[in-house]
Amino acid sequence: MEGKVKVQVNEERSFSKWFTSRKTQRIITIACFMFIPLLLLFTFTYLPFGKMVGFSFYKMKYIGERTFVGLKNYKKVFSEPEYFSSLKLSFFYMAGALVQLAISLYLATVLSFKVKGGDIFKGFMFFPYLINGIAVGFIFKFFFTRGFVFDTVLQWCGCNVDKLPYWLRDQGVNNWSLAGTSIWRYFGQNMVLFIGAIMSVDSELYEAAMLDGCNKWQQFFYVTLPNIRTVLFLNVILSITGSLSAFEPPYVITSGANGTATYFVKMHEVAHTSQKVGQASAMAVVLLIIILFATLLQNVLLKYAFRDAEYEGPEQNVRKKKTRINTAGKGKK
Amino acid sequence: MKKRVAALTMAAVMTMSVIGCAPTAENAPVQKADAGADGAAPVSSQTDGGDASAAGGYGAIKLGETGTDITTTIKFIHHKTDREQDGTIAGYIAEFNKTYPNITVETEGITDYAEDALLRLQGGNWGDVMFIPAIDKAELANYYEPFGTVDEMDGYINFASTWASDNMTYGIAYMGNAQGILYNKKVFADAGVTSVPKTPDEFIAALQKIKDNTDAIPLYTNFAAGWTMGAWDAYLGAITTGDETWYNQKFVHTAEPFKDNGDGTGAYALYKILYDATAQGLIEDDYTTTDWESCKGRINNGEIGTMVLGSWAIVQMKDAGPNPDDIGYMPFPMTVNGKQYATAGPDYSFAVNKDSDADHKLAAQIFVKWMVEESGWCDFEGGYPISKSAPTSFAFDGVEVVENTAALDGEEDLLAEMNAESDLNFNNGGNTKIQDIITDAFNGTKTFDEIMADWTKEWNDAQEELEIEVLY
Repeated sequence: MEGKVKVQVNEERSFSKWFTSRKTQRIITIACFMFIPLLLLFTFTYLPFGKMVGFSFYKMKYIGERTFVGLKNYKKVFSEPEYFSSLKLSFFYMAGALVQLAISLYLATVLSFKVKGGDIFKGFMFFPYLINGIAVGFIFKFFFTRGFVFDTVLQWCGCNVDKLPYWLRDQGVNNWSLAGTSIWRYFGQNMVLFIGAIMSVDSELYEAAMLDGCNKWQQFFYVTLPNIRTVLFLNVILSITGSLSAFEPPYVITSGANGTATYFVKMHEVAHTSQKVGQASAMAVVLLIIILFATLLQNVLLKYAFRDAEYEGPEQNVRKKKTRINTAGKGKK
Repeated sequence: MKKRVAALTMAAVMTMSVIGCAPTAENAPVQKADAGADGAAPVSSQTDGGDASAAGGYGAIKLGETGTDITTTIKFIHHKTDREQDGTIAGYIAEFNKTYPNITVETEGITDYAEDALLRLQGGNWGDVMFIPAIDKAELANYYEPFGTVDEMDGYINFASTWASDNMTYGIAYMGNAQGILYNKKVFADAGVTSVPKTPDEFIAALQKIKDNTDAIPLYTNFAAGWTMGAWDAYLGAITTGDETWYNQKFVHTAEPFKDNGDGTGAYALYKILYDATAQGLIEDDYTTTDWESCKGRINNGEIGTMVLGSWAIVQMKDAGPNPDDIGYMPFPMTVNGKQYATAGPDYSFAVNKDSDADHKLAAQIFVKWMVEESGWCDFEGGYPISKSAPTSFAFDGVEVVENTAALDGEEDLLAEMNAESDLNFNNGGNTKIQDIITDAFNGTKTFDEIMADWTKEWNDAQEELEIEVLY
């Protein structure tokens, strides 16, 4: 009897020991902290997503009965020219995104040096991002109206109004106009992210580069760019996925008419006007796969582009360039 | 800064809500017309005909003679809160009291009328006159006093059978809504268009005259707002075919609903008006940036010739500027077998409380008759006339006004399913397909016959998919 009791006590002790041990406590604390956010994430992201994938195999409305149709919805995404070809419009927004990144990177570089009234400029350029997307849409609808703001400004610059296109009516121009509005809205935000990244670059690197005779362009290319590549990478991914799912400008400004219906606008129409929930879910899943693929592709491409920096690190990189510059200088002499 | 952002956002939200509201206003009468059309509802055997004569009855009341000796107070509950606030209703009552100084009318405008009215009706003791909320026709006799037999009432008012049960009329609409075209009379006169066009060809010719002889935009499409384009679907049905059963019963079973009849009728001719007007430059210059709010003032000022919208829009256009008398409303320019049709349906209808005492009932019926015959309220709202004798500015002469008949039993959902399957969405937010007519016409990317062929294909594919029998 005694022996048995002892064993039990031992077990209890070992459990409480195990329970109060630092390692277990840490795990428990982490689990407790993680539980609520994970629960929320699961309930509001993964569960609805799983449901949506499920819906995509059904023919269904919001209410009423569902019929299982297998892959029919997916086939339709590709066979119905209206649906899939609207993805082509994403190229306008992607081109816009590249312009947007170039502008914001340029401005960020300029503003990261000491500029008079730099903060005011930053404020002005960041401001559009703070405006509600619907309001931006209304602003630009009037901005592009014939004879309104944009035409007037161009007339001040000496353009003849008769030779200007109708910014939203002409199908060769209207998607560029819409992409333009999203550049206007988001470049400020990109710029602020870039400024943050540039500020965090070690100033000694610039000093070293300057002493080595780098000009501003070389400084930018060999010091700044490799050091901000993570943020650059992030911005590129955000912009490209953003342009694949462009919605607000075409929806608010042109309501998707006149050849401006992007994939998202089409999806919205299928889901809410026609109430084909299954079809719209299939479209969403296809878009997700495309975005995943695009992200993967960018990852690979950018890794390839920055492979020097990856292996050698920025400092070595500068040193290497330095020697190269030096030899070049010597050669000239 | 923050305030400005808030203000901008607010402005946007408000504009959105206004845009959002309008189509509901337009759709409402259509739905009501449907509800009104199931006239074959089971009929209860009890008849309150005796009571009707006790209270006077609509026909027996002679305004200014009957009931001048009654002294009482009646209560009228209604949904027109805007007219309650701007004093229009109070003005009518003051006018009414010139003839009937001893009948005091109390009014109450209820914001959430559709819900509240049902609750009050159940609670009883709601007053003496109300607008009928959504109840079954079989219930009418339990709550309301009849005005007279349907046949008799038919002689006095339009839509006498909408709120009828057992051949008795229980409700009289305060105004009707009809489908036609808004136009500016002055622009038409200036352009030299002397008679209202009756066919698509005449209509296009009239638009051309407006373009040649005036500075006005002949046809303002309101392209950008979207729902204003979807409004074109409202003309499908009796207007385009002369057959009131076509839209809700035959359309889904038709093999080629968009084929060219060759005589300027049918869905083909309806949408061709828009295509031709666009191709011939008879619409606004930059259609992609049209603005719904400002178009109201522009048609009022004579900058716009015509707009294709339901009659609910008339009063908004009249109120939007200094020239309300220039705003006219004409039947849709389409003639089927020598006859023009218009579809119309009643708005909310007056009804009198069955449980009030005899004096109250009579006073209430006198008040309703006065409002319908004498007040001019219906005309003020630009509505399709209810009284057959009261003066109206709604000139639909020689036009047969009908209601589109409801779908057959068991087929109520077919049209909705076809709409979804074909993505054409007739009268269901299918704005894009009509916007595409304009862009295709303007850019010359598709001929009209190609567009109609595409629609027919989508329609037929949907019929096949849903296994709907093709009968016509």
